[in-house]
Amino acid sequence: MSNFTESAKNVLASVGGVLTSGFGWVGGICRLLWDATIRGARRPFGIHDIFYHMVSLGVRSLPLATVMSLFVGMVLTWQFGEALIGFGAKNAIGYASSLALVRELVPVILALTVGAKMATGMTAELGSMKVSEQIDAIASLGADPIKKLIWPRLVAATWSLPILAVWGNVLALASGAVIADVVFDVPADYFYETYVDELWPSDYLSGLGKSVVFGLLVGLIGCYQGLTTKYGTEAVGISTTNTVVATSVSILSMDFILTTIFLPVS
Amino acid sequence: MAAVIELQGVGKSFGDHTVYQDMHLAVEEGETLTVIGGSGQGKSVCMKMMIGLLFADEGEVRFRGAEVSELDHEGLRALRQKVAMVFQGGALFDSMNIRDNVGYALIEHTSMADEAITARAWECLDMVGLGQDRGLLERMPVSLSGGMRKRVAIARSIALQPEIILYDEPTTGLDPSNIRRIGSMILKLQKELGVTSVVVTHDMPTAFRVSNRIAMLYERHFPFVDTPEGFKHTEVPEVRNFIQGRVRDGA
Repeated sequence: MSNFTESAKNVLASVGGVLTSGFGWVGGICRLLWDATIRGARRPFGIHDIFYHMVSLGVRSLPLATVMSLFVGMVLTWQFGEALIGFGAKNAIGYASSLALVRELVPVILALTVGAKMATGMTAELGSMKVSEQIDAIASLGADPIKKLIWPRLVAATWSLPILAVWGNVLALASGAVIADVVFDVPADYFYETYVDELWPSDYLSGLGKSVVFGLLVGLIGCYQGLTTKYGTEAVGISTTNTVVATSVSILSMDFILTTIFLPVS
Repeated sequence: MAAVIELQGVGKSFGDHTVYQDMHLAVEEGETLTVIGGSGQGKSVCMKMMIGLLFADEGEVRFRGAEVSELDHEGLRALRQKVAMVFQGGALFDSMNIRDNVGYALIEHTSMADEAITARAWECLDMVGLGQDRGLLERMPVSLSGGMRKRVAIARSIALQPEIILYDEPTTGLDPSNIRRIGSMILKLQKELGVTSVVVTHDMPTAFRVSNRIAMLYERHFPFVDTPEGFKHTEVPEVRNFIQGRVRDGA
């Protein structure tokens, strides 16, 4: 009996520890968002830094976003095509693919791949600056690290991911049309018409809205993990690994929340 | 002499680890105060509290009478224009060239033109003995030796003509000639710019050479504060053991 009690206590203590650190982590992320909004959104807005990071985070992620979007468009169209052939409805392939790609797969796949790349890059860079005391040096020179380092990265990530999602939607549509035409003998122009016909503006907006939130999340997690890196080069590696996990879990959790919000609307 | 920085009854802990307990220390105007003590005891923490990078859990840290923990964002910004810090590894910004590193505070706090910032950066580099090669301004920190990085860090700290410079282990990892050079630089800046200096170091020859007073951190406070001569001739066993590098029995 006492062993059972002891085990139960240990389990509860472990669960409590995980919950406490989880809430602490979420609280830290919220605090960082608050600080960045209050201290960053003031003149000068750091437009040059924001554009620098948009190039660094967004433009340099174009090849990855291109490859991911092409393949997700092809794979999903092929899967739907196979399923629809069984019902003798292969001509509906455009209708079936469009909603899943625009509302769900393109934003989520890009956030999971390109977003994780952005977040880990931020964590590694800020983590290295933290362990080499460069962040303290910025503060000691009278500048604000939140304004100088966090604000431009957050804004850049928040803008870059939806722009990449727009590009990804175009490519997913194009690659889906190729599969429809070549594999299922559904003309590409018919695929295009049915694809676009199925979509309402709210579908585009829900996809883009998700990308904006995912971008913000990616920026927040990447920066927070970097700023909370402990001392030593090993700590940078640990933070970066944790960022991948945190980004993936947060994006999928947030996707569920956003889907419950957006679905009734669209 | 008046105290420019005062730490009164300071307590500071990180989790279960208590770094300071009822600690008192005063830095007087125009002096060079050297802080010595064992590794990992919290000497750098003391400096970071002086410049508001860390805050005391208990007690007061005052700069010219103003409580540092009560300063708002603008107050801290003003404090950091008067108090500069040279970090242990230099902490130069990897993504910026030497000109932008040295001129960082000028870009941040003044409306000086680019040419004027370049001229001032060059002047500061010249003061720390790096004025021979004009091409240095365009070089990146990664291309510099350890000694040069520390001197560039000192040049960066004096760009805004601060009243106080905090040196965090400025001689660590340097060869004897560079250690001597950094020591000379601390003396030169005190003499030419009239700055008050606080130096954290393990290097006793440097401590004896540059200091007006030495404070030894021992058991979470500063029980021993004296002149270099006083330290050299002390009969206090803890101090003698430390400066002569002796290990206590059983330690």
